[in-house]
Amino acid sequence: MLMRTEFVRTIADGAGPQHGDRSGMARGVIALLAVLLIATALFSLTAGASDASAWGLVKYWLFSTELSQRDRLIVMDIRLPRIFMGVLIGSALAVSGAVMQGLFRNPLADPGLVGVSSGASVGALATIIFGGTVLAPAAAVLGIYTLPVMAFLTSLVTTFLLYGIATRRGQTSVATMLLAGIALAALGVALTGALIYIADDRQLRDLMFWQMGSLAGATWTKIAASGPIILLSLIAAPFLGRGLNGLALGEASAHHLGIPVQRLKNVAIVTVAAAVGASVAMSGGIGFVGIIVPHLLRLVIGPDHRYLLPASALLGSILLLLADAVSRTIVAPAELPIGIVTALAGAPFFLWILLRRRGIVDL
Amino acid sequence: MIEARNLSVAIGRKRIIENIDFQARPGELTAIVGPNGSGKTTLLRALSGDLPFTGQASINSRPFETLKPWQMANIRAVLPQATSLAFPYTVREIVRLGLTSGYSGAGSHDIETLPDRALAMVDLEGFSGRFYQELSGGEQQRVQLARVLCQVWQPVLDGEPRYLFLDEPVSSLDIKHQLIIMRIAKSFAEEGGGVIAILHDLNLTAMFADRIVMMHRGRVDAAGEPRDMLSDDRILRVYECALKVGVLPGSGAPFVLPQSAV
Repeated sequence: MLMRTEFVRTIADGAGPQHGDRSGMARGVIALLAVLLIATALFSLTAGASDASAWGLVKYWLFSTELSQRDRLIVMDIRLPRIFMGVLIGSALAVSGAVMQGLFRNPLADPGLVGVSSGASVGALATIIFGGTVLAPAAAVLGIYTLPVMAFLTSLVTTFLLYGIATRRGQTSVATMLLAGIALAALGVALTGALIYIADDRQLRDLMFWQMGSLAGATWTKIAASGPIILLSLIAAPFLGRGLNGLALGEASAHHLGIPVQRLKNVAIVTVAAAVGASVAMSGGIGFVGIIVPHLLRLVIGPDHRYLLPASALLGSILLLLADAVSRTIVAPAELPIGIVTALAGAPFFLWILLRRRGIVDL
Repeated sequence: MIEARNLSVAIGRKRIIENIDFQARPGELTAIVGPNGSGKTTLLRALSGDLPFTGQASINSRPFETLKPWQMANIRAVLPQATSLAFPYTVREIVRLGLTSGYSGAGSHDIETLPDRALAMVDLEGFSGRFYQELSGGEQQRVQLARVLCQVWQPVLDGEPRYLFLDEPVSSLDIKHQLIIMRIAKSFAEEGGGVIAILHDLNLTAMFADRIVMMHRGRVDAAGEPRDMLSDDRILRVYECALKVGVLPGSGAPFVLPQSAV
């Protein structure tokens, strides 16, 4: 079971006056991340193919000076919605990863890896393709919310299926969870493939870009549609913190501590599905944020979910904004889909986690 | 008092325990003993509220079905046989989880030092900054006991006795720590709380238990004081093992040596 590095031990030992209490350090990290997020957002406002300057913007906000029509358009209608979307999606992906790992009591559970994102894709694709025909009545009722709600529903079904398969009498089998996740993801890919096959040429190009994951299509309308669902899940997350800490001891022990386990699990599953569904509806699948962010944070502030969840939201936002900055500058003036950037960075990181755990903790 | 009447538990179609009548009084250490597979853990899990059962069960005269999880957590704490963690919690973070229900009974002034005092009680002073996953099985078990002690720190709160449920609390411990843990349980009972412990070691049972409930094939074979319960013919019948029960000179307490097997 000896899996700790000296680095981590030093951090835990030096954590304040009371040994083993990392809450002070966690609060400090959260404050630091909040500052970093603001800095990253300001940096993102200025970075890009156009040279609209941050200073011009600050002057415009503070002193109401003139902003050129072109700069105003670039900043207000292209970059600002893009930053909002990056923050929403980054926090949704990181928080849903952290909640799911807490729920399954395993650091490898990630919505992208175990099929929840594929599940959401099926709902989203079905809406894009059948929105004008079979699903027209639903679209008439839900309006702009049709896409995120459909993605939420299919990811909810996937998450419940996964949990139902992997957990028996309060015991979660990690092997079953990962294997069931592979099966569900494969099913999702097959269904999305079938949907793409019947899509017409006009839909096809949109679908391909959407599937690779991109913030390029950010609009205020998209944010208005998916944002509220993500915000609701982010508001629910802090209430899960204490319960997920208890759940780390196992379902029975959590129950003995007085935690309403069944309700906790239901809220956690709906939170994950809402966050994943809404973010997939906005930008397609963006992988690995949900696994990297909580893992890095656990190394520094520990696994206490009361701090891990808000810290994940902040670091997830920061990482996604940075990945987006890379994706639109590295091949400028063209853009690389952000899903490719996160996968290029995230997949090797995931392998590194596996190597560290190999032979030490039974998967 | 913890009381069960006509308690049965079935998992699938198989009846694991049947028609159990069980009592555990405050002020006493009640030991549940019996061979492997006799239903000890199932009984304790039913009494912890983990398993659906038929029959009646009550805690301090309140039926289980009227109590919410957090109300149960204020009255009883449960030590599982073993707990493994997937995340790198420190010992202190684990022990603090015992304060989740917020009803330990320690004053608000003492609550911050409670984890340290509980760790000192289980002979793990100075371990609070260590990672739980680094500890040996016996040390982990004692960390969990410290957590459980924090949950019901005062054996009696507002005139109401509270309970410790211990599932094989000493099975992974060395002899020194077996005695330390059994003394903690005993003094919890002496201060007015109730203790239910599943034990395998008949000698520790005879030494510390006020009452023994002997399980056999999913039923209660008999319940009573140690000197009445530990007899040659009962051990032969329940454990299918011909042992001679000895009597300590002086105290008159019974003891069992495996060497006496015929």
